[in-house]
Amino acid sequence: MIELIGVSKRFGQTTAVDDISLRMAPGELSVLVGTSGCGKSTTLRMINRLIEHSDGEIHIDGQQIRGFREETLRRRMGYAIQSTGLFPHWTVARNIGLVPRLLKWPASRIHARVESLMTMLGLPMDEFADKMPRQLSGGQAQRVGVARALAADPDILLMDEPFGALDPITRETLQHELRELQARLQKTIVFVTHDMDEALRLADRLVVMDQGRIRQQGHPLALLREPADGFVASLLGGEDRGLKEAALLTVGERMMPLGAKPLPGERISRHATLREALSMMLWRHAERLVVIDDQGMAIGELSLRRLVGARSHE
Amino acid sequence: MSDALNPGGARPNVVLLSLGLAGLLAWVVFDAVSVAPNRIVSGQGHGAWDVAGWPGLVASLAPMLAMLALAWRPSRRHLRLALGLVVAMLAALPAWLALAAARLIESEMPQARLGIGAGVWVALFLLLLAMVELRTRLALPRLLGGALLLPPLMSLAVWLASGLEPLALRQELLARRDGFIAAIGEHLLLVGAAVAISLLLGVAIALAMRRWVRCRTLGFALLNSLQTIPSLALFGLLLAPLAWLAAHVEWLAALGVSGIGWAPALLALVGYSLLPMVRNTFVALDEVDTGVIDAARGMGMSRGQIFRQVRLPLAAPVILEGIRITTVQAIGLAAVAALIGAGGLGTFIFQGLGQAAMDMVLLGALPILVMALVADALLGALSDRLRQGAAS
Ligand SMILES: Nc1ncnc2c1ncn2[C@@H]1O[C@H](COP(=O)(O)OP(=O)(O)OP(=O)(O)O)[C@@H](O)[C@H]1O
Ligand SMILES: [Mg+2]
Repeated sequence: MIELIGVSKRFGQTTAVDDISLRMAPGELSVLVGTSGCGKSTTLRMINRLIEHSDGEIHIDGQQIRGFREETLRRRMGYAIQSTGLFPHWTVARNIGLVPRLLKWPASRIHARVESLMTMLGLPMDEFADKMPRQLSGGQAQRVGVARALAADPDILLMDEPFGALDPITRETLQHELRELQARLQKTIVFVTHDMDEALRLADRLVVMDQGRIRQQGHPLALLREPADGFVASLLGGEDRGLKEAALLTVGERMMPLGAKPLPGERISRHATLREALSMMLWRHAERLVVIDDQGMAIGELSLRRLVGARSHE
Repeated sequence: MSDALNPGGARPNVVLLSLGLAGLLAWVVFDAVSVAPNRIVSGQGHGAWDVAGWPGLVASLAPMLAMLALAWRPSRRHLRLALGLVVAMLAALPAWLALAAARLIESEMPQARLGIGAGVWVALFLLLLAMVELRTRLALPRLLGGALLLPPLMSLAVWLASGLEPLALRQELLARRDGFIAAIGEHLLLVGAAVAISLLLGVAIALAMRRWVRCRTLGFALLNSLQTIPSLALFGLLLAPLAWLAAHVEWLAALGVSGIGWAPALLALVGYSLLPMVRNTFVALDEVDTGVIDAARGMGMSRGQIFRQVRLPLAAPVILEGIRITTVQAIGLAAVAALIGAGGLGTFIFQGLGQAAMDMVLLGALPILVMALVADALLGALSDRLRQGAAS
């Protein structure tokens, strides 16, 4: 658990972070969003003391972070950044094993850990272990960066635009992998991004920042439906907010369970998002879709009326 | 030119062709050697025709002509053959001189001296250039390129042992054998000490300049101005203060410090070495990717660990480049140090100039040249290797 209480950071005259309070529960993935220069990276870097906060208190599992030695604190947290920061003179395997080596794990344990991480992130050991970072593609390098952050199995993961500068498809793959990973490993993750779709897709808790302050925080759907002010509304997508919300809801939640008669028509998985369903309706000029389950059996029907209809989510 | 780009080796290699033609011309036109009855009298020049007669002259031209033919259609195979020919020709030069000694010097002239003529010098120079060109074209690694010089050097050693006794250079060397070896030692010691001291100082200064911004501008301004003082003037400038120090501080005088000798020479060499050393070290350490350093800190590495395991290894190739520049420069500059009594190979150069004895000048200059080339090749190869390790 990470807790920030009335935390501020001043660089000379400028106040980068202004009296913010945040609680991030174990297993929660919090995403910080906001315009450039609003203090997202500063907030993240104060948590592992790459930047010392000026005022307030930061607690990790109830203990003030100033009570730890800096190095000890950082070795307990994973840290992944946009530029990856991989050491260009070390092999992929050595890069990933960095923190375990700093923690003086025995060599055999490090080796086993590196191997399992590489497998988990889709980087086969025999192909990638001895490669140098400059021999990797952008997506592979970012994976190695994430693997390195996970290496010592930290409870906390700090990620500053870790999938930035990637093409949309690779990006989506990595987002998906992070979600899966999170479902299995239950880390406390703090994630910074500029990509609102990425933020909405990943976040358990969305934190909207502006000029060093927190404008609003909460579940993405809550923020989409009831933005605190115009700034939050426009940052979350302005006119597109309806579509962004639709992207967070699934067909299964809105469909009408099927009666006896199986209808002919376009089919869509019940796991698809409402946004995908709407897109298909527009594309196919169809007012209703047949919803199918994983086995391809028709289980319901989604009409345009229902799709846009009453908010039946909560 | 690679085979793929130029399958038949269709386009002639202009560099090799011009080097070869110039070599042929010099070989035929200039004196191959000069012969003097003793050290005092100046020598009488002899062309290649005098040395070997018509058949010999033609035979000596054959490999050069063959190389020209190969350069006309420079496929990779042809270039390899040409390189072989060049190495063979270099190795044959000492034999050629021995032949000249045997044919031109009569046995009743024990004092006679054989001087190397312009024709042979030019041929040597052009062949070395051709070797560099071929090495580059064939993309040979530096060390292999250096190893190609071994056959010519071995041939030289063999012929010096017997057959080249009248060679003036050899006689100068024998007459001053102890002095020569001592001079090489002094030279190396002076250069080694200057490079070592400036490396230690340079790293310390570079670190200070990274730490404190004010040191930075001041440091570079000072070092830049130091670099612009002509070397002899710098030696001169150090004369007075050192003489004063030696007169007033006993233990310095006991160490051998004085206005002339090794102390001002070493100081001046360190002065000149500092700028390239500091500049390279500073830039090398400063240009390490900030993202990498940020990640290193974020992973929980301590300051010392970051410096030793990340910053220094990533900066090493550029720092080594500074050491290379400094060393080569110091090897040359140390020759001037002889003027203020610091010894070294410069002694022979300046004495030889004073006595108008060119062979003695060469006795000092040639080893300096060789030392500079060897230092350059070794440190360059090391830097390449580090760079590969860092980047591959
Ligand atoms: N080391 C520093 N010294 C001085 N000012 C700084 C420093 N680091 C950040 N700032 C300032 O603090 C403010 C917040 O910076 P921060 O890096 O946290 O923004 P950000 O939200 O991460 O922006 P971006 O989305 O562009 O990465 C900016 O105005 C920035 O100029
Ligand atoms: Mg940032």
